[in-house]
Amino acid sequence: MNRFFAIKTTANQERVVANLMEMAVKKYELGVYSILAPKELKGYVIVEAEKMEDLLKAIRGLPHVKGVVKGEVNFSEIEHFLTPRKAAEQIKEGFTVEIISGPFKGELAVVKRVDEAKNEITVELIEAVVPIPVTVKADHVRVVDKKEEEV
Amino acid sequence: MTELACRKCKFISLNSTVCKNCGSTELTKEWYGYLIIIDPEKSEVAKKLGVKIPGKYALKVG
Repeated sequence: MNRFFAIKTTANQERVVANLMEMAVKKYELGVYSILAPKELKGYVIVEAEKMEDLLKAIRGLPHVKGVVKGEVNFSEIEHFLTPRKAAEQIKEGFTVEIISGPFKGELAVVKRVDEAKNEITVELIEAVVPIPVTVKADHVRVVDKKEEEV
Repeated sequence: MTELACRKCKFISLNSTVCKNCGSTELTKEWYGYLIIIDPEKSEVAKKLGVKIPGKYALKVG
């Protein structure tokens, strides 16, 4: 049974650590099977290994490794990193959203159209006098109200 | 050195215009999350994602 461990790394060096670990694993033929560096988990790398010793051997002497997090990580805890849902899939037409980046930051808007393929949504700003459709990335909004109004 | 991820299989190819895994030309530099599969036969993560070839993968493609 494989186990999952978390290692603490310097922020933004997760990929470097993962690459160096991969080299060490191949060189010493260690029982480490996969290395995961999710975008959401800054400063950590999740390692799937057979046992703790293999992990410790793989990170020995590596730069940017700050330590190993005590205990194990359950597979269920990392499962959601593997199948990230697009932000647009969680937004429906009629939702009220707040724009959280770009020139309209802080503005409330109503969703008029959702393009899941492009991960974009078209919104109309609530406070604008004349309704102008604005297309923004779905990651750049926060859902405020999930009430689906008539569009 | 540019790392491009395949839109179809999420495999990350280095300095290449075609995916080294599936041969697709739909590559993007907009990808997030990093996953290295070393042993797809033993890895549970690889099984979950249906990955059969060891290598570097993106978790999310732009």
